[in-house]
Amino acid sequence: MANRRCFQTLTRCLQSIKTLTPLSEAIAPYSAYALNQTIAATPPNYIFVNNADIYQRAAVPTRSFSSRPTDSDDVEEDDEEDYESEEEDDSENEEESVVLSAEDKKIEAAEIGYTVMGPLQKSDRVFKLYEPVFAVVQIGSHQFKVSNGDTIYTERLKHCDVNDKLVLNKVLMLGSQTQTIIGRPILPDAAVHAVVEEHALDAKVIIFKKKRRKNYRRTKGHRQELTKLRITDIQGIEKPENTTPPPPSPKKEKEKKPEKKVAMEA
Amino acid sequence: MSVRGAWQLKKLVVSYCNWGGSSRGIRAFMESQLPDFIEKNPQLEVVTELNRGYHPLLKGFYKNKNERVVCVKNMTPEDVLQCATRLRNSQGRKVLKLKTRHVTKHPSVQGTWTTDLKITN
Repeated sequence: MANRRCFQTLTRCLQSIKTLTPLSEAIAPYSAYALNQTIAATPPNYIFVNNADIYQRAAVPTRSFSSRPTDSDDVEEDDEEDYESEEEDDSENEEESVVLSAEDKKIEAAEIGYTVMGPLQKSDRVFKLYEPVFAVVQIGSHQFKVSNGDTIYTERLKHCDVNDKLVLNKVLMLGSQTQTIIGRPILPDAAVHAVVEEHALDAKVIIFKKKRRKNYRRTKGHRQELTKLRITDIQGIEKPENTTPPPPSPKKEKEKKPEKKVAMEA
Repeated sequence: MSVRGAWQLKKLVVSYCNWGGSSRGIRAFMESQLPDFIEKNPQLEVVTELNRGYHPLLKGFYKNKNERVVCVKNMTPEDVLQCATRLRNSQGRKVLKLKTRHVTKHPSVQGTWTTDLKITN
């Protein structure tokens, strides 16, 4: 029985050697030679069925390769995964899961989170004084009422590094002291500029589960990854040009101009 | 991390041991990935320090005079790089639970709402 098992594994090895990348093809003849030697020494009562098709499906699921060499461009996103063999027709799934996304895909992913990558800062005078203008901006599923110089903590934004400029596309409402613009649901011409300040972890939260009198107790620690953004500029609304903003009075009349913006993108 | 464009991490000290097995990862990191890390962060002062007989450490010195020490014993070079990147990405502030996700000095633009407020078009 041990002999039989050995030969089965040998055939599987031969199968795997044949299907490996060209680097290992050089090794293949040597191992094939060694295999042939052992095959020559088989007992006469062992029926050796070396049919490639039979062992293909049997051998394939048990193998797991180390990660393929990934592109040097995508350092941030690449998760080294175990890929199945090339014989299986999972090429489409592999491309989606491989995350070897080109710059277009990066931009798409960023747009899903309603941020657009801008160039890195190069001694730009981006940080201005406070302007009495606010915007309601959405990132992912969270909305913030934002003004110049504010700080926002969002979920970790991939594809952006510290000291990067972002443009937040999804602006739901703009407002100043005299004017309010409400989008339906978003304002297409508005933009909010922000700078990534920090990618950090939140404080540890301990998730404790207990069922009493059932001898069940679990403790789990969790640290959420956050990104800190500093809002630098709000565009899309006329800003008052006073040096000192007038003190806000509660009975001030506001002109509401709801512009009818047809929702282009759902 | 940077506040208004100023990087907060000033100095990174990589202390390792050239004999101990727990420093294997950080030694491999120093050979393979540390030069790239230094190139990508020219504003950062990276110092390698030999500390025999101790577990390997990554010490980060921040502008607010805060030190963050991370022990990287028995970690792979990729994990060490991730730790170093985290130190470089973060401020030196104490890790506290966030009170609010929106920090502002001017909460109201059009005036804080009160019950007496009357909106007229």
